[in-house]
Amino acid sequence: MRKKQSSSTEKRPRRDWYKLDLSAIVYPTLQRRDFSAVYRLSVTLKYKIDPVLLQKAVDIAMKRFPTYKVAIRKGLFWRYFEPNRRPGPYVMPDIKNPCMPMGFQTNNRYLIRFYYYENKISMEAHHSLGDGTGGMCVLQTVTAVYLELLGFFVTKKYFVLDVNAEPSAGELEDAYMRYANAKVHPPRQHEKAYRVRGTKEPFYTLNIIGGTLSASDAKKAAKKYGVTVTEYFNAVLLYALLQKQEKEWHLKLRPVKIAMPVNLRRFFPSDTLRNFITMVYPGIDPRLGAYTFEEIVTQTHNFMRYYINEKFLRGDITTNAATQTNPLIRVVPLFLKDFIVSRFYASVQDKNSSAGLTNMGLLKVPEDMKPHIERFDIYMGQPFSRRTNCAIITYEDILTINFASSIVEADVERYFFRKLVQDGIHVKIASNRDS
Amino acid sequence: MSYCVNCGVELDASHKRCPLCNTPVINPSEPIQPETVPPFPREKGQVELVKRKDAALLVSVVLLSTAITCGLLNVFIYKANLWSLAIIGACIVLWVFMIPLIIYTKLSPYASLVLDGVVVCAYLYMLTWLTNKNTWFFAIALPVTLLVTLLAEIMTFLLRKFRFSFLVTATVSFLEIAVLCVGIELTLNRYLHHRFYLSWSGIVLTICAIITVALVTILSKKRLRNAVRRRLHF
Repeated sequence: MRKKQSSSTEKRPRRDWYKLDLSAIVYPTLQRRDFSAVYRLSVTLKYKIDPVLLQKAVDIAMKRFPTYKVAIRKGLFWRYFEPNRRPGPYVMPDIKNPCMPMGFQTNNRYLIRFYYYENKISMEAHHSLGDGTGGMCVLQTVTAVYLELLGFFVTKKYFVLDVNAEPSAGELEDAYMRYANAKVHPPRQHEKAYRVRGTKEPFYTLNIIGGTLSASDAKKAAKKYGVTVTEYFNAVLLYALLQKQEKEWHLKLRPVKIAMPVNLRRFFPSDTLRNFITMVYPGIDPRLGAYTFEEIVTQTHNFMRYYINEKFLRGDITTNAATQTNPLIRVVPLFLKDFIVSRFYASVQDKNSSAGLTNMGLLKVPEDMKPHIERFDIYMGQPFSRRTNCAIITYEDILTINFASSIVEADVERYFFRKLVQDGIHVKIASNRDS
Repeated sequence: MSYCVNCGVELDASHKRCPLCNTPVINPSEPIQPETVPPFPREKGQVELVKRKDAALLVSVVLLSTAITCGLLNVFIYKANLWSLAIIGACIVLWVFMIPLIIYTKLSPYASLVLDGVVVCAYLYMLTWLTNKNTWFFAIALPVTLLVTLLAEIMTFLLRKFRFSFLVTATVSFLEIAVLCVGIELTLNRYLHHRFYLSWSGIVLTICAIITVALVTILSKKRLRNAVRRRLHF
């Protein structure tokens, strides 16, 4: 028996390091004293959280996620992850300013944090570990283990993984490289977009304004315009940004664009828990004339239909992968890459959009977990520059929209939610701003 | 259950003002209850600072061991003169330079520059023991060190006080280079020839003046400024 076990471990030796995936390469280079690419996922249960039990659940569940229980290190040419065997990550009482910068040497070198507050469990992860889908697996598995420690049974399906199973190779793969096989590299479109003006908050404040609404209300409103919920919210955000630009002092108008991550698992089958997203930039150019809301909705709808399909996305992945596979780029030392990438990001990529919006859609949760869960919230985290990021998730009939911004003014949020109210959607607002 | 009269959204029971438009919530039939659990915690988190203790320790140990080894070699083996003083002094100077970088990072930049100036002066004065003559120290080393410290302080002040663009920073740097060269030559000439006059630094001064005037012209003309930005952007 023992012999058999040893041979199976020989077959699959414990990995002692991981390459960063294609989009994970960018996030650590943007690290500043006052910025880290950190996102937050929260689940609100129906009972008060017991921190001791939650810590136990985290300890049990984290073993299942080898690519999340890691520390980031620098090599000569690229960064890499190595398994982190230090104690932790420890659960902490929640704080007012979520998504704080995450130093790579702090927190026992973990790139993941767990918080509890009243009924809410929150998980913050550095984006280099994985995207929202991967993070949601971690959060839901931790929640499931927590519920099991409380004595409930939870079926292992959808985002809930079996903590006793071995992680499959597919969960740890860099899925980008598997699908980066288009015959051309379509060029990236770059045009400087409108930037939200505002007063910067002091280090370190993150303003959250969250709206809770009924998913069926939102669906009804979207149906009125003949579009999907994501397209509708995109149009509303574009409408809010256009209004904001109009009201501000400006010499000339600029196109208003939204950076929206697309979950590639929808188009390219993969079980990966790491990053597998790409960005699309739906936008409106007010220099062409004044758009009515109906026109914005149509434009967004057509844009999404045109760009979000398997062929275009494959081209996009191929373009992104081309930079990483280019031998000339690969031999450049890491510090030079960091310098170039961070400058490129600040001067081109970041200026390419006016705001960020992500919609994780209707969340699948195992039936026997549903009675314990009240709602889910996601936060896109601190924006790289002065602007606001919007994150949407739906659980049952509760749709939550969370804006995270590092500026004092809440104009974009105000225009956004007022438009929803005008369209007959009931919105409930909660914020961490001092009131 | 209060609504914002301005935005029409329902507000969480803990809010005294609408987070969207700052309009105060006035609801006589349902006064705000301070004991309701707010949707977000009230305590603010602090960012954990990266400890540079290891780097500080490493630098201190390396410098200290270098100084001690050279001191011992000087005392027991190569006893010709006090040559180890130059190395020990250099180690101290390096260590002081490292203070704001890794040892005590909260030190104000002005204080650390003054400290650097003082320690360089002290080091140079110590070297007068090796040369058995201190006229060069008072005539050249001290004034030049003071001038460099002063210019560095001015530059730091300007850079911290005003957010200079790339071109303005270049202009100020050229001005400071000109002042430094003139200062160095004046002190040198006074020491060597006992009179003040300019020769080579006059050339530096002229070149810097031309560059400064050109930069100021570019800065004052928007079209030129943009042309330079466009060609030099990186």
